[in-house]
Amino acid sequence: MQDLQMFLANIWYFLLGLVLVLYVVLDGFDLGVGMLSLFARDERSRGIMMASLGYIWDANETWLVILGGMLFGAFPLAYGVMLQAFYLPLLLMIFGLIFRGMAFGFRENADNKRPWNVAFGLGSLLSTLAQGLILGGFISGIPMHGRSYAGHVWDWLTPFSLLVAAGAVFGYALLGAAYLIIKTEGEIQKLNYRYAKIAASLMLLAAAGISIWTPLRHAYVAERWFVWPNFFYIALLPAGAFCSFLMLMRSLQKRQERAPFFWSLGIFLFSFTGLAVSLYPYIIPTTVTLGEAAASPKTLVFMLTGIGMLIPLMLGYNAYQYAVFRGKVREEQGYPSGS
Amino acid sequence: MDFFLDSLLLSRLQFALTTIIHIIWPVLSIGLSLFLLIIEIFWFKTGREVYYRQARFWSRLFLLNFGIGVVTGIPLEFQFGTNWAPFSIQNGDFFGNILGFEAAMAFMLEAGFLGIMLFGWDRVAPGVHLFSTAMVAFGASLSAFWIMAANAWMQTPDGVHLEHGRLVVDSYSAAIFNPSAFTSITHMWVASVETTLFLIGGISAWHLLKNRCREFYLISFRLALLSVIVIAPLQIVLGDLSGAVVARHQPAKLAAMEAHWQTNLPGQGAPWVALAWPDPEKQANTWAIEIPYGLSLLTTRSLTGKVTGLRDIPRENQPPVALPFYAFRVMIIIGFLLAFLMLWSAWVFIRKPLTLAHIDRQRHLLWAWVGSAPLGYIAVESGWITREVGRQPWVVYGMMRTEDAATSLPAGVVMTSLAGYTLIYGLLLFGYLFFVRRIIRQGPDLTSPLPAPEQHSPSPAGAGPALEDRQPLGGD
Repeated sequence: MQDLQMFLANIWYFLLGLVLVLYVVLDGFDLGVGMLSLFARDERSRGIMMASLGYIWDANETWLVILGGMLFGAFPLAYGVMLQAFYLPLLLMIFGLIFRGMAFGFRENADNKRPWNVAFGLGSLLSTLAQGLILGGFISGIPMHGRSYAGHVWDWLTPFSLLVAAGAVFGYALLGAAYLIIKTEGEIQKLNYRYAKIAASLMLLAAAGISIWTPLRHAYVAERWFVWPNFFYIALLPAGAFCSFLMLMRSLQKRQERAPFFWSLGIFLFSFTGLAVSLYPYIIPTTVTLGEAAASPKTLVFMLTGIGMLIPLMLGYNAYQYAVFRGKVREEQGYPSGS
Repeated sequence: MDFFLDSLLLSRLQFALTTIIHIIWPVLSIGLSLFLLIIEIFWFKTGREVYYRQARFWSRLFLLNFGIGVVTGIPLEFQFGTNWAPFSIQNGDFFGNILGFEAAMAFMLEAGFLGIMLFGWDRVAPGVHLFSTAMVAFGASLSAFWIMAANAWMQTPDGVHLEHGRLVVDSYSAAIFNPSAFTSITHMWVASVETTLFLIGGISAWHLLKNRCREFYLISFRLALLSVIVIAPLQIVLGDLSGAVVARHQPAKLAAMEAHWQTNLPGQGAPWVALAWPDPEKQANTWAIEIPYGLSLLTTRSLTGKVTGLRDIPRENQPPVALPFYAFRVMIIIGFLLAFLMLWSAWVFIRKPLTLAHIDRQRHLLWAWVGSAPLGYIAVESGWITREVGRQPWVVYGMMRTEDAATSLPAGVVMTSLAGYTLIYGLLLFGYLFFVRRIIRQGPDLTSPLPAPEQHSPSPAGAGPALEDRQPLGGD
């Protein structure tokens, strides 16, 4: 029974990671485009940037809801404790997402677009910062007493989490710029080659800082990394991320259209795997392992049939929707303006 | 003031506020997606342009409505963890599981086909577009199914037991199809459809009165009217069934809804209290207008059936009385008002067909439709207040008390989030109403070119013979 539960808990840990990556990448470029819209030169290019997301932002955000539902059902303890620990940054994240939703809903129907432009850009920035702060606070560990949170409401705010938040902003901006390179042409595309370079360089700096600071600050990570032969394998991950970065810069230099997004994805995947390897088997570092937080085997199996098996299907129809809208954004596409 | 220092109360207020405002949008998403599906089936089958125009016009409302629904729904899911951590930790095995199902099976289905439905007219074949619309509608209704199953389980938990303060699921089918699941799901689903139909009917009636795009709005008015002939009475039947389930499984809630204090003695009937001022201190009504035998008849189908009064329920397990009592009455009155409006309309149009010439002489009727447009929403809200307040002091009826379910948070933190939500949801609601009004005032676009999907036959009925002369709504 114990073995079965551990096996199922591991499967759910993996699925959770998978959906987290999907959310981070998909809503990442979505939020990134939002932040970049703050630099848009005129109303027309801002309209194109928003239209590039019009058909897909709901679905991208839905991965967050699925992530929440999965964590709630499969690891109820982790859900209760983490959400309590990150009460304030979650609030900021949600407010940011609401501002974005308002912008999508209201801007096309409004005569004065300015307030909604601001809501879109700053909402995206706010959500991204909050997500970075949550990640930073999460890596730093969550103190617990028995089965409840024992920390303070401001525990997540540290210099370390601020650095992670900066990394998140640059990372999402990179994804957003890479997405816009695929979806736009002409002046907007040219600008985004430049933005992608700047964002990637800043992200590299932040990532390097985080990679060095994390094991120094958190003993549980150091114990995982600095043991032979672990060190050798783990070192492959930052090496992979760095190679992706080099390939990214090369593809930007060569003005390729799809390759920058692909290599940005590479950076994210290597970094994320590094994080997952450092954390395992904790689901709340360093107080709760995934086995302790997991729901009963019965629930985990039932959820596998209802959610786990649906993931390929969800990926399928989401991919289909992207395929339907492939190619450059057309100006009239997206939200029908005053038709 | 103690009020501001009580984080339990603040968390409850925050959840109440965010749900009361959020529910506005899913109600219309559920109903309108079905309406759009039916309209598009007509377009697909007949190729008549007016159905395409209908689909595009109501889609604009749907687009605005859906986006706001998504972003106002996210805080609800997260609040279970932030403000109700003990509830989540104890009940996650079932409750969290079901919310996950809702997101993966239903919510993603809607979002995954929404883009094609709204912006894909020129990009996919008509059949694929129709399929996408069907998936959005199916997803919206499936979402209602899971959410209502989860909420019904909180009302009448079944198929589970507690072991060391943790929930163990014995039977998923018993938990999902708990005693109140069927009535809860159907009552809410039909409420969404009915609210949408009276909104569409009301908007159409208003344009008919104002002489704008009359042929266009006659179509939607007629479709709404034909549908409510079935839906309005059905909802009254479902409401009655729902009440019977409450009587059987949640006697305290029923007694509160009906301000019924004293259990009737054998051989005597419990009266139905039409109006009253309930006084929990005295455990009696200060005054009441009663209909003898009414409550026994309504809940047990017998003149002298036993109906437990609140006095037989320990004080600490009694829900508040006045709020469920009055909210319940508001809902019932609206249910019957809408049914009456349906009968009036049916009476008028059975005698003479529903044509523009005839409708011009029915201005009172049209104004009644305009006035009824927001009523469904009010009924939904008051119904939910009855349902949730009547469940108190339990969050999971008989299993977990509300006071044990809340996270212990500093009151200042909850005060901050409550203030933030109040401000932002207020702004959202205001903006939504403002832009809905604008969309409705602009009216349909009757001139833009018909969709011409790339690489596909331009004929919308390309899959089969075009049936130009078929009119599924009955003759003009």
